[in-house]
Amino acid sequence: MSVINYAKKIIDFKIVYYGPGLAGKTANLQHIHRCLPHDNKGNMISLATGDDRTLYFDFLPVSALTVRGFETRFQLYTVPGQVQYNMTRRLVLRGVDGLVFVADSQFERLRENVESLRNLEANLREYECTLDEIPYVLQYNKRDLPNVAPVEYLEFVLNHRAKRVPFFEASAIEGKGVFDTLNTVSRMALASEFGGAREARNEAS
Amino acid sequence: MKPRDMVIQEEDATRITQILTRFLGDSGAGEALLIDRGGQLLAMDGVSRTLDTVSISALAAAAFSSTAAMAQLLGETEFTMLFHEGAKWSIHVSTVDKEAILLAVFDERTTVGMVRVFAKEASRAVGAVLGEARARPRPAGEFAAPLNAAESGPAWTPPY
Repeated sequence: MSVINYAKKIIDFKIVYYGPGLAGKTANLQHIHRCLPHDNKGNMISLATGDDRTLYFDFLPVSALTVRGFETRFQLYTVPGQVQYNMTRRLVLRGVDGLVFVADSQFERLRENVESLRNLEANLREYECTLDEIPYVLQYNKRDLPNVAPVEYLEFVLNHRAKRVPFFEASAIEGKGVFDTLNTVSRMALASEFGGAREARNEAS
Repeated sequence: MKPRDMVIQEEDATRITQILTRFLGDSGAGEALLIDRGGQLLAMDGVSRTLDTVSISALAAAAFSSTAAMAQLLGETEFTMLFHEGAKWSIHVSTVDKEAILLAVFDERTTVGMVRVFAKEASRAVGAVLGEARARPRPAGEFAAPLNAAESGPAWTPPY
């Protein structure tokens, strides 16, 4: 649910990084936080357990270019990937404007990826939404590791839908692919506000 | 329930600010933040203390959602109020409507009871403004034409 504020000339978007535990969602936000200049970012907040696993969410507000007189701002959230925190994941999804599904490319994590994607679809249904209605990209993370599945295989498993979405190979820990992913999902979210795209989607749903 | 889009026109912002200003005057609270339940700050008013209002909004919405989830586990619809008491500053969060909450920051110059009473009144008034704003068709204006090529470039460019 974007917020367009005519008084302040600001558009706010909420982007959520979703995926199984230890896939690298927090690593994405940490890299973005490290790289962006101070003027383009706020404080990064991590609600984590003692062993650095995400307990509730990570949060990082970032700002981008001004489009047609409106400053564009994106609030980046991660969800906790661990299976038992589903209630929390559902709460973080509320009002989402754009989604990044961060998949772990390792062969032995394929099942977790599929289960997490199904869980995402189920949680969106709670808000009467589907993946087809929300700007959405896939990130195949951990491409730096030796035991990764071929991208074609990941595409077949995770992106084999009527409407295929952009995907990115990444190594978030090294910063590779992180900004390609962010730039694409943020532009998709922004584009959905213009040219009647939002109204068309609302009517279709 | 599907959250609805929010477009705040200038006249909405003016009315909301007037309500929040009156709430602060009546209750004695220092700051008031109107927040949507997804965590976005919709409006604020108060003394010019440096607060990270963006982060506070995200955290308050999350805390309020968590307590609502707890309430549902007890068979309640939600808890309509959340109160955190600090040594100097305290926070009161309450329901505006199904999509927004009102947060007040206050100190020892007032009481949680005062804040609670006037927050209810302010919430009703602000809820009416938000309801009208949501019911209004989205304005075309700047949003009528699709993004052009220059507007569709990357928001953040390497080297990163």
